Amino acid sequence: MKNQKLVQHTDRINTLLARYGVKFGIYKNNTFKEQLFPFDSIPRIIEHSEFEMLEKGLKQRVLALNLFLKDIYTKKLIVKDGIIPEDFIYMSSGYMAECEDVIPINGIYSHISGFDLVKGKDEEWYVLEDNLRVPSGASYPMIARDLCRKSSPETFHRVKLMDNRNYADLLRKTMDYVNTGGHTVILTPGRYNAAYFEHSYLAEKTGAHLVTGAELFVENDTLYYISSNGSKEKIGAVYRRISDEYLDPMNFNPESLIGIPHIFDVFRKGNVAIINAPGNGVADDKGIYYFVPKMIKYYLGEEPVLKNAPTYLPFYDKDMMYVLENFDKLVLKDVAEAGGYGVVFGNTMSKQQKTDFIKLLTSEPRRFIAQEVIDFQDLDILDEGEIVPRKADLRAFVLMADEPYVWASGLTRFSRNPDSFIVNSSQGGGFKDTWVLSQ
Amino acid sequence: MGIISVEQVDHLFWLGRYTERVYTTLKVYSESFDRMIDESEDSYQGYCDSLDIPNIYESKEDFLKRYPFDNTVPDSIISNLSRAYDNAIVLRETIGSEALSYIQMSIYAMNNASLSDAPLIDLQQIMDDLLAFWGLVDDQIDSKKIRNIIKAGKRIERIDLYARLEVDKKRLEREVQRMIPRVLRSGMKYDEVSLSKISSLINDTNLDYEKIILNVEKIVM
Repeated sequence: MKNQKLVQHTDRINTLLARYGVKFGIYKNNTFKEQLFPFDSIPRIIEHSEFEMLEKGLKQRVLALNLFLKDIYTKKLIVKDGIIPEDFIYMSSGYMAECEDVIPINGIYSHISGFDLVKGKDEEWYVLEDNLRVPSGASYPMIARDLCRKSSPETFHRVKLMDNRNYADLLRKTMDYVNTGGHTVILTPGRYNAAYFEHSYLAEKTGAHLVTGAELFVENDTLYYISSNGSKEKIGAVYRRISDEYLDPMNFNPESLIGIPHIFDVFRKGNVAIINAPGNGVADDKGIYYFVPKMIKYYLGEEPVLKNAPTYLPFYDKDMMYVLENFDKLVLKDVAEAGGYGVVFGNTMSKQQKTDFIKLLTSEPRRFIAQEVIDFQDLDILDEGEIVPRKADLRAFVLMADEPYVWASGLTRFSRNPDSFIVNSSQGGGFKDTWVLSQ
Repeated sequence: MGIISVEQVDHLFWLGRYTERVYTTLKVYSESFDRMIDESEDSYQGYCDSLDIPNIYESKEDFLKRYPFDNTVPDSIISNLSRAYDNAIVLRETIGSEALSYIQMSIYAMNNASLSDAPLIDLQQIMDDLLAFWGLVDDQIDSKKIRNIIKAGKRIERIDLYARLEVDKKRLEREVQRMIPRVLRSGMKYDEVSLSKISSLINDTNLDYEKIILNVEKIVM
């Protein structure tokens, strides 16, 4: 193996990741636990030409989704023109009436987008999910690359890669591009959040202040931070890592203790940038996903470069019929769930489970989508000294400032279970670095 | 780091205090352990009294095992180390990943020592990690204010512990001289009266340790 030395040092790299506290939090039986995120040092390698194709497709997708969000919260032309039924907008849990006619700074809604892709055995890349709210995961390959370079410098001298350690600079540029004048902060729900490592690491690397809601307040339509000497410091951009409903108890969930009262009013008046903008959930709804290729054609007049997994909406009678007839070969997803939850494979259900599920599906057709199971490629991983194949996906990140920028890396997550397609860290998966060859 | 919040100041100060508490109690514990090898009486009771921690231990052996490693006892060394970690983990962007990593490693070292058949040897690693942490604070944190807050916490804690342990006048005097400029430069709110009382108490021929403890606790509330 060409990268033998790198692979030999897998345990040592994992020890270093533990040293730097590269963990994610998880609640089990109502108790918070921090878990290490297992790293596999055999990288996913993406050829340069393949990356160029992905880059083109992801830029196209992010531009279309941003145009969709602007349209939906203003003119709604895509609904008026009959491309997307209005039910899919207004019944989406991510649609927020409060965002109507609110246009974020520079018209950017999704500043940081995470796209979950898989590569099929047919060599084709498929987009499985769009994540336009608070996609996480970039910090893991960032720090892993740094440690891998230390463990095997000759590998990185020999293999010419695009450097992925520019993520913090890209993020800073993205935040600065929409900053209305003032400090930039990363807003975290606190150290018991699953992605707290990432929040604090990105704050350190971008030079932004890591804050909780309790440290910010609104006065005269301006957002402030109180410093230890009592001075009020204006905030110009908030990279929030909390979800829409908890962002502002005065405008959204009144029970939120982690938000900032009236921050949405400041945003609405254009006095602060919120990254990503509130209301984006309508665009990364699993039901809306079906329409993204149509959006690309509608807004950009282009053919989509990247494919969706073949998807059916039981909302449509024709699709419902197909789903019921082909139940055993489909994967069904609850549109309101994330993180690998709410995903069921038709062929794994017992007879009773299937009957119960179909009853639920027919009574709430809007709640589910069905997809053909993509037979995606396995990647090699090192499992107790042996190299074994496992299912893996790729979360690619696109940052939007003056133009979309596709990060030449990404988070490759893999399942450690040989029979599982579920790669999420919360379900016990691990991660790999993603190498993009520079030529 | 241009601005820091009240919460961060609090975490920095307590990070200084807890790291010092772990460091000094580990040192004293090692010395006491060595003494207890040769003695028949239970001198650990005096140790508990001097540090003002409840004597919940059944025997010398119980004390030697549980005082460092029982995380259900709030005054154990491991509990104090957890509190140091709780303060450090929310300060990554302030103190840096490198400095934070030494607190993280001391947690791993403590867990390893608790399983060791030679805990005294393994506990040395925690002291080494804490010394490295303080070295990084000096070497890598550019903000004088941040350095001064951590060190003010550390110096205040050391005087508090030394006074409880009734160390000699010379050692205590040295620590007071190191603590005062840190507090003054930290930018934290402090109690001027208590600070000046300590300056005068330390000049007494016979030290009144109780009064020193009382006043050092009031410097930063």
